[in-house]
Amino acid sequence: MPLRSPDPLAPATVHVLDDDADLGAAVARMLTRQGFVAKAFDDPAALLAAYPGQAAHAVVTDVMMGEWHGFDFAERLRALDAHVAILFMTAWPNTAHAVDSVRLHGGVDYLDKPIDEARLCASLRDGVAWSTASRATARRLGELSPRERQVFDLMVQGHGNKAMAGLLGLSPKTIEDHRAAVFHKTQTQSVAQLIALSR
Amino acid sequence: MFRPRRQDWLALAFYAVGFAVLHRLAAYWGGSGFYSLWFPAAGLRLALLWRLGPRLTPAIALVEIAVDVILTPAVLEGMPWTVAIWGIARPVLAYGATVAAIGWLAERRGAALLTAPMPLGLALVLAPLAAVLSAVPQALTSPELTGVSSPREVIVSLAAFAVGDLLGTLFIAPPLLWIADAVSGRARWRWPLPSLLAAVETAGVLGLGIGLARLLDQAGLGMQPAPVLVAVAWIGLRFGRAAAWGALLVVVLRVLPDTAGAMDTPERLQRHLALATIVVTGYLAGSFADAQATARAMLERRDRLLFQAERLKTLRAMSVAVIHEVSQPLSTLAIEARHLHQLTAGRGDEIADGAALIDRKAEHLATLIRRLRRFGGHAEGAPQPLALTALVDMVATLAQAEAREAGVALVIAPVDPAWQVMAQEVELAQAVMNLVRNAVQAAQGDADPHPVTLDVTADETQAVIHVINRASARPVARDGMGIGTHVARAIVEAHGGTLTRMHGPDGMVHAALSLPLIETR
Repeated sequence: MPLRSPDPLAPATVHVLDDDADLGAAVARMLTRQGFVAKAFDDPAALLAAYPGQAAHAVVTDVMMGEWHGFDFAERLRALDAHVAILFMTAWPNTAHAVDSVRLHGGVDYLDKPIDEARLCASLRDGVAWSTASRATARRLGELSPRERQVFDLMVQGHGNKAMAGLLGLSPKTIEDHRAAVFHKTQTQSVAQLIALSR
Repeated sequence: MFRPRRQDWLALAFYAVGFAVLHRLAAYWGGSGFYSLWFPAAGLRLALLWRLGPRLTPAIALVEIAVDVILTPAVLEGMPWTVAIWGIARPVLAYGATVAAIGWLAERRGAALLTAPMPLGLALVLAPLAAVLSAVPQALTSPELTGVSSPREVIVSLAAFAVGDLLGTLFIAPPLLWIADAVSGRARWRWPLPSLLAAVETAGVLGLGIGLARLLDQAGLGMQPAPVLVAVAWIGLRFGRAAAWGALLVVVLRVLPDTAGAMDTPERLQRHLALATIVVTGYLAGSFADAQATARAMLERRDRLLFQAERLKTLRAMSVAVIHEVSQPLSTLAIEARHLHQLTAGRGDEIADGAALIDRKAEHLATLIRRLRRFGGHAEGAPQPLALTALVDMVATLAQAEAREAGVALVIAPVDPAWQVMAQEVELAQAVMNLVRNAVQAAQGDADPHPVTLDVTADETQAVIHVINRASARPVARDGMGIGTHVARAIVEAHGGTLTRMHGPDGMVHAALSLPLIETR
């Protein structure tokens, strides 16, 4: 089932996952009041199953959830959607987990319970912004044909037209055409903007 | 370093009188080439050095020189005065050096031989030997100064010197130190009063030893020390120093009167040599037994600490579990309470007031739970910049409840948020907590306890955390292990700081924890 990405113009969508259903619901309600579209889940498997039909900008997940570890859940979620922001919350905080959550699992933040509401909302806004930008980039690059993608990759590495023509076995004129298509489809005007897009 | 302190002058004055009397008394056991075969003044000297420290060595040397020159001006005759003065001062310097060296070694605590009271036992034996060694160069190069001529006489005079001083130190210093400890309240009588059985055994063994020695003497074998030596060693090993010293007192009181006055030197020397052998063995055996007892007591104490630590570990695990269980529902409560508060904010009625109160209390509880969890967590990670205001905040949260329960007010002055130190937060909080807890316990007990003050000051390089309390006139019995301050000191020193405790004349106790500040800009 193809992933149905959240509408970029719609309000920020957030899923809240905690095996304590009361807490998950309370956090989701609180986020709704703060202007997010929030939905609570109390089972990681249920969230993963439902996710392709209702992707989110961000997921706030507990770390210790019975048999599930929040980091394993994050890996599975990331496999489904590379552009979702993930935030961890835990009642058992420790430094090693805090570092791993950000470095290894791409977490936006690692919060200890009881939750600091202001910090959660601020981090979520950062996460939603990152997710939106990441999806926009992916969408623009997704419109490139395979050959245009090759040209894009070489351009952001700093190769000139002649070099690219030599590397790809094409005529400089064809390369010119592909360049123009890349700029058009990615809505950019310069190589510098392309490089920014590739990051 | 060499300047005596005010209270030392009195001790030195008593020493001058005691030295003069004992020095004169020793003359009864004198002989050619040496002053005396029993030199109790050496014991007085060692006791003073041991009690007040080797820093008094130069002052003691000056006292002995003065007493010698005033009482027996003849000491200056027949030799250059510098040599005479050096001859008087030399043993004192040797004693001082020995006491300093043993004190230095004992502080390192490496060797089993240096468990208390073995350092004293070693000092009592080694100081006289050091004094004799220091006399060897002069005895070999200019024997005429001490009135001896042949090599044999040199050896006899040195042996006599050693025996006289050994009998003096081993016999006089221990009781003087016991008395000093008892008078100053420092005494810790670890050994119980002797049981009847122990007294009977001691008397029996000693009587047997002395009887056997007399039997050997009557059989024509001369005065043999072996039976008495075995007896006092037995008593020392079985019952410790006090019993050994008591047995030695009996032996010495039997021997000394016989050897005083008109007895020829070789025989007197022989008897005193035998006596010295017995006294050294008996006293060292007693010291060793006491050291064993001390070591055993230390082991028992360590075991108790381990049990305590194990219990604390379990308690900590339980606390962490409880904190976890509380934090889940508290998260929900705090979120809902805040929402309720916001919903009712404009109503201005009782429901609004109640919702605001619930929100405030939930937030307070949430903060408390976060801090407790940080404090109860593993002390992990490298030191990080830590604002002292955050540290004091943490300690205040944790200590307030205990202070309130004890009925002691905890006054905490505001801390400049710019002051930062490099620290492992949980450990440092533990150190300050221990000091505050000690202060609260010490202040407790009065009808109207003096408040405990927690305050931070800083100059350009150092921050000082002050914990100040007034010692209660009726301190409440404490149930801790009494290691809070030790732990605090160890933590502070690991952070490159120092911890000092001062008792002011007004009854105030001031603990100051200094830490190096870090550059914040």
